[in-house]
Formats: sequence, C-alpha cells, structure tokens
Amino acid sequence: MSQLLEIDNLYVKYGNIEALHGISFTVGQGEIVTLIGANGAGKSTTLMSVAQLPPPEAPKILSGDIRFKGKSIVGMAPDKIVADLHLALVPEGRHIFGNLTVEENLKLATYARKDGMDEINRDYKRVYELFPRLNERRKQRSESLSGGEQQMLAVGRALMSACKFIMLDEPSMGLAPLLMYDMFRTLKELNEEGMTILLVEQNANLALKFAHRGYVIDTGEIVAQGPCEQLREDPEVKKAYLGG
Amino acid sequence: MDFIIQNILNALQWGSFYALIALGYTLVYGVLTLINFAHGDIFMVGAYIAFFVASWLLGPVIGLDPTWTFVLAIPITMFLTAGVGVTLERIAYRPLRRKGAHRLYVVITALMCGLILEYGNLACLGASRKKFPDLLEKVIWHFGDVAVTNLKVLVIFAAIAVFIFLNFIVTKTKIGMAMRGISYDKFAIPLMGIPIDAIIVFTFILGSSFAGLAGLLFAMSYPVLEPFMGALIGWKAFIAAVVGGIGDIRGAFYGGFLLGFIEVGVVSIFPSTYRDLFAFSILLIILWMKPTGLFGVAKNTKI
Repeated sequence: MSQLLEIDNLYVKYGNIEALHGISFTVGQGEIVTLIGANGAGKSTTLMSVAQLPPPEAPKILSGDIRFKGKSIVGMAPDKIVADLHLALVPEGRHIFGNLTVEENLKLATYARKDGMDEINRDYKRVYELFPRLNERRKQRSESLSGGEQQMLAVGRALMSACKFIMLDEPSMGLAPLLMYDMFRTLKELNEEGMTILLVEQNANLALKFAHRGYVIDTGEIVAQGPCEQLREDPEVKKAYLGG
Repeated sequence: MDFIIQNILNALQWGSFYALIALGYTLVYGVLTLINFAHGDIFMVGAYIAFFVASWLLGPVIGLDPTWTFVLAIPITMFLTAGVGVTLERIAYRPLRRKGAHRLYVVITALMCGLILEYGNLACLGASRKKFPDLLEKVIWHFGDVAVTNLKVLVIFAAIAVFIFLNFIVTKTKIGMAMRGISYDKFAIPLMGIPIDAIIVFTFILGSSFAGLAGLLFAMSYPVLEPFMGALIGWKAFIAAVVGGIGDIRGAFYGGFLLGFIEVGVVSIFPSTYRDLFAFSILLIILWMKPTGLFGVAKNTKI
C-alpha cells in the first residue's frame, strides 16, 4: 500500500507548550487510520499541523516533516491543502458558520473548486443523499441545527470541498449513540468508495472497531501502534483506553 | 411644506455621505472585528485623489471636457483609493494579524495611520486649501419653492446604488458568503479552501473604493479640500455605523441617514451651532436604549 501521508519525527509547539515530541506515522491510500489517546495527548494538534492552520489559533511546527504523496507540505497555505491536495479537516467542535444557512455552508466549501458545475451538483446530491436531514433543513440558519446535524453539516462541507482524504477530529463528540453509529456507517461507506480517513477519537472502543490501523498517543508521543484487532487485544491499551 | 421637503432632501444628501463612509467601517469591522479608524482619512485621501485626477484630466496634457472628466474620475478615484486602503491593510494591519497582536494594538495602529495620512498630506501639500474644479454643470430643478440640484440627486442615487450592490455582494455571491463566514468563524475559513487574506483584501477594496466615491462626490458638493476634512465626518460616520449596528450593512445605511435627518432636523429648528450637540445627544440616547445598535445582534453575527 502506497503511503499517502507521512508524518516524520514531528515536533510541534502549541501556545507555549511543546505538544508533540517527535511523532511519526503514516496513512496509506484508501485506509482508515485512527489516533487514539486521552484528552490533551496531542491528537487534535497533530491534525491541525497536517492542515497547516496558521498560529496563533493553531500549532507551530518546530521540526520534522509532513509529506503528502512524498512531497513536504510544511509551510503550505492552509487553503491550498484543501484546494490542491484535496485533504480536508473536520475540526473539533465542528466550526460551522452558524450565521449562514445549511445550503450556504455547503456552497462556501466549493469556493476553490476548479472542476465544473456538473461535478459540484453531483456532490450536492450525494451529500443530501448521505444526510437527508440536511436536505430538510437546507434553508435554515445552521446555528439552529442540533449537534448531530451540525456534525453532518461539517462532514458534508468537507465532501463539498471535493476532498479525497478526510481528517475527522472527535466526530462522535456530543452525539447520541444512534446518530453516532449512523455517522460512522456513513464514513465507512465513503471509505469503501475510496475516501482515505484519518480519525481522531476519544472513544477508543468505537475508533478501534471502525479503523484499519491505529496509533496510541500519550502526552505527545506514540506509545503503541498496529492493526486495530491487535491494539484491541493489547493488555496495556485495554487497561488505559478501553476500560479494562 | 416646501420647507420640509427641502430639508428632507438635504438630510438625504448628508445621510448619503455618512452612509457611504459608514459602510467602510462596518465591512472591515464585520470581517476583522477591527475598527479601522483610518477610514475617515481614506475618505479625505479619496477627495484629494479625485482632485488630482480631475485636474490632470482637465489639464493641458489630456484636456478632457468637464463631463468626461467626471465620468472617468469616478472609476479612477475609486481604484486609486482602494489601492490606499489595501496598502494600509498590507503594511499596517496584516503584520500585526500575523503576529496575533491584541485587537487594542491594531485599533491604535489604525488611529495612527489616520493621523499619518492627515499629517502626511499637510507635509506634502501644505496647509493651503484646494479648490475642487467644477465638473458638472449645475442644473437646478424647481418644484414650487423646492430647489433640487442634479448633484444632490446624484449623491442620493449613488448611495442607494451602492447599498443595493453591496447587499447583493454580501448575500448572493460566494465571496460575500465568505465575508459573512469569517465574521462568524475565522478558524474554519481556510478549511474551506478559502484564502483568508484574499477575502480581507477584497473587503478593504470595497470599503475604500466607496470612501473614494464619497470623497469625489463630497468634493464636488463642497469644493474646498483640506487635510483634516475626513476627521470629523469620519467620526460621525463611525458613530452612525455603531448606532445602526456595526457589522451590518443595513445598519450603516440606516445609521447614516438617521444621522443626516437628525442633523438637518436640528438645524431647521435651532441655531446651527446646536447641530452636533443635539445630534450626538440623540445618538447617545439611542445607544443607551439599544446598546447593540438598531440592527445589531448581541452575538458575533456580523455583516
């Protein structure tokens, strides 16, 4: 399997604290990879580093490299990551534009697309198919949506940016169990169609059932890695993250 | 009756100037939550640019007639004034934004930029006032005792056209959506593949070019230019934007016209020295009753 994304010995500062101390991992084309770990372990920091979000809101890369298809993307403009590499981040807390309608949120995500109206319309259709609730609420201001619907919108927006690689930061947060399973079923469906997924989750049980491979992060370092079946059986991982 | 109509027209004209300037404050505030205190001086620079452009077009090198000069001066002035606004953003505000400076420092920077524009003008051009050339042949229409000049109609028309245009940009276009999006959540804008600096530059282009238009029309209506002409009118337009609800385009327009009506209303009853005292007192009472402004929302939903 070719490596699509390679994180190589990455040191990152977030605020005044060194948040990542030399982590390395890879994501292959078409894979679902998950990063699990406790709150504050550095999972979100990792995703924001890959997305190249600028400080001060986001982390500052001190050393190490992030490569996409073999080329370093450190220092690339964050909008180019989305527009040119088709690598999208669904951030923690969703960050939808609450003052815009559902439809406008989706439309805004097509801002930098260079393909034609046909492809864009096909993607609208697809998003509304995957998330019928969004279709029902098309004209509503998105701040009036429920938490689950906002998460759908956040994922839908990423899809509208024509991403082929999606990074998800805590998509299960605040969702009722039923909606959560729905969301993961949809993500699985997208993966089967070829979407590469990098998932950050605190709900390690769920993440390790969903992903192919996993990495366990603890205070800025990777402490365990392997296929998910293997991690699920690892006594250390079980004890620390899966509730025994 | 004629007296009232005459005053309404005057109020609309003054309101138009305030509104055209106020929207520049409101656009930049909506996108950056920055009060661009240099904006009144950008209006002043716009008037001077209009003066030089008009003199150049009328002058011996080009030698256009006044009407064509007017037609060409509009886009040239707007373009050059937009350049001034964008330059300010590029050399003064953007470096601070990159460093994550606190808003207070950015506002202070804006104030200083305004002063630099004023005193830069004074240093380069001297204290003598400039007389703006006549571009439009003055036409006065009489309806009973009401006299309307073509220029007055033009000013009011320009303000309304700009309002309709901006409303369209902000509500219907993708770049307008991005502007509204930034005001709600700046963090997520690059995640949509949108270059945030491009949106900010576009915002400055809009605000400054309309300040340039206001400068041109103002110079035609009150043809004496001096370096500090933007200070008071800028403050008033800013207050109008706040009273209307800063960050909201409708707020800037209604606030601007409201101020125009209050001022003209006061002058039509009291001696003109009472104008600003009364006008600001009334605005103070409005803010006291509705601190977020007429169209303002308490939440960070702007533009």
